[in-house]
Amino acid sequence: MTELLITVFSATFFVTVIRTSTPLLFATLGGLISDLSGALNVALEGMMLISALTAVIVSVHAPWYVAVLAGFAAGGVLGALMGFFHLRLKADIILVGFAVNILAAGGTVFALSLATGGDKGTSINLVSKAIPTIDLPFLAAIPGIGPLLHSLLSGHSALSWLAILSVFGIWYFLYRTPPGLWLRGVGEYPAAPEAAGIPVAKVRFWSLVASGLLAGLGGVQLAMFNYVGFTRDMTAGRGFIALGAVLLGARHPIGAMWAALLFGVFDALSIVMPNLFSWIPAELIQSIPFLVTIIALILFSLRAQRARRVAAPLRSADT
Amino acid sequence: MSLRTDPRFKAAGKEIGRAVAALAVALLVTFVVVLLTSQDPIKAFGTLLTAPFSSMRTTGLWIDEVAKLTLTGLAFALVFQARQFSMGVQGQVYVGALFATFIALSPLGATLLALPLGILVAMLAGAAYGFIPGYAKARFGANEIVSSLMLNYLAIKVVNYLIRAHLAPTGTGQLMTEKFPAQSIFPALLPNTRFDLGIVIAVLSVAAVWFLLYRTRWGLKLRLVGHNARFAEYAGIPSSLTMISAMTAAGAIGGLLGAVYVHGRAFGRLAIDFDGNLAFEGILVAIVARDRPLVVPIVALFYGYLRQGAQLMAIRSDVPSEVISIVQAIIILLVASSFTIPGKAFWVRLFRFGPARTVEAAGK
Repeated sequence: MTELLITVFSATFFVTVIRTSTPLLFATLGGLISDLSGALNVALEGMMLISALTAVIVSVHAPWYVAVLAGFAAGGVLGALMGFFHLRLKADIILVGFAVNILAAGGTVFALSLATGGDKGTSINLVSKAIPTIDLPFLAAIPGIGPLLHSLLSGHSALSWLAILSVFGIWYFLYRTPPGLWLRGVGEYPAAPEAAGIPVAKVRFWSLVASGLLAGLGGVQLAMFNYVGFTRDMTAGRGFIALGAVLLGARHPIGAMWAALLFGVFDALSIVMPNLFSWIPAELIQSIPFLVTIIALILFSLRAQRARRVAAPLRSADT
Repeated sequence: MSLRTDPRFKAAGKEIGRAVAALAVALLVTFVVVLLTSQDPIKAFGTLLTAPFSSMRTTGLWIDEVAKLTLTGLAFALVFQARQFSMGVQGQVYVGALFATFIALSPLGATLLALPLGILVAMLAGAAYGFIPGYAKARFGANEIVSSLMLNYLAIKVVNYLIRAHLAPTGTGQLMTEKFPAQSIFPALLPNTRFDLGIVIAVLSVAAVWFLLYRTRWGLKLRLVGHNARFAEYAGIPSSLTMISAMTAAGAIGGLLGAVYVHGRAFGRLAIDFDGNLAFEGILVAIVARDRPLVVPIVALFYGYLRQGAQLMAIRSDVPSEVISIVQAIIILLVASSFTIPGKAFWVRLFRFGPARTVEAAGK
């Protein structure tokens, strides 16, 4: 037990948590934007998977930043596809989302076997270029706390910093700009923005695209930093955990950040625990994030339900 | 009233037309993909379309899949009819299979009680597992999509662990249990094929679900809640109770599918990751069948044919079986959307963005 505590309170564990949280945070932010616009995006998982593969394949032929952009764009294209089927062809958003997930689960394996020369094996993987880490050597020069700061803040993926920036960027967009207000209005009560002349369908379409772009970045971080390579089903449910994190984060960007960090901690634990407790079977350690998601979801829903009950007399009957 | 003018048949005809058109589009896209990627595309695509009929054995494989797809399709159709998006069938299948295995490997497994008891226990376990997301939603408002998906992952991990560490014969490194005793395996209806009790169970389940949904008070309530939960509340139907019961009943079907898996002649044992994601593909069967239990087996028949064809194609040609996911995604997208058999109006609508856009562009 003391070993676990020593590990958990070490700077390396902190760095691991940031690493495991980053893909979750991107996906959660993506889920948040589409959820706030009134379209539950269940395709985060599939978007991450396809973006991850796109980035890895592009990175074979191009520098890392081109690969990142390719994965980013792939997510956006999938978001646009969902928007097209949901908004123009009036398909149920959840069914469209699962279609994307099914396409991703099979399509990536299909593409992977083509990219590796027709190998139909199941454990094949494709090696990728990596996103560089950002080192901040000047921090170590600060007297006193310098070395600690350096060990905590140095060595993160460039995308981790981008993720933190996105949290505040999205917060600013949602709560301080007119389009952000439109987006929230469209999700809250579409009839009102409709009457005010705001193009509801257009707002939803672009939030789905933004959702895809963010989920795409999550997939890129996963395949070009956390694992550096693509294996089948490598997202392993992170897209669905992110959906839970949106709710757990009280549908707010800052909350999303804390929720992603929480799940990141458990993800990181499942990485370090096999070294410390070899007697706990790997499958059970791997199932921790799923169990935590269920418990967190129930606890949060309970809290939200209480809050609604308190607020109920103030608002009209609304499910 | 003649068949031609009956609006119900007209609507059904339109639905069938849409489904067939969606299938045609999906197959066309798949053909293009195979054409671009395979060394011998004609042979590969030909295998996809004809392989299930190539021998008695492959036909048996196909029918076996149809039975399983029918059951998972029924489970999805039941929750979808109540407008719940519980995706938990896969988890229920694993839990059901696990409990059926407990019976089969216990001393009871070698008695005549083995099959009925195994099926019953599996259904109960599946129902309990289906109850959890339903209760969590009704009681706490927890989103059933997220919770049921998490329960799927959890069930798969735990069952795989139990097989690897406890149920598999020790020291062999196998990832499956011993073969069940003969009394715990379905008898073959046709010798040397996989025609077994599974298909009979599937047909009985179709009849049972149809009866429950359209001939009982519970089914009427369920469909009302699915149609308009608020109206149902006003009419005095407790929507949350109906919701929970729908998810629980669907869970029982999921558990039943688990029993059909492990007792079936194809397995006759419990193995890790045994369902090959089939349990999840019931979502496609239910969507194309428009959640109607009597249509589910028909869709399963067609889809099972393609699925089996894809697997045989992967064995006999250089195209991986995952190409079928393209077919799945396109069919779901087209059937779930307001897509109609493309006439002139469709293409016009597809490429024209409404007048609002041009006005707006002019405004800027």
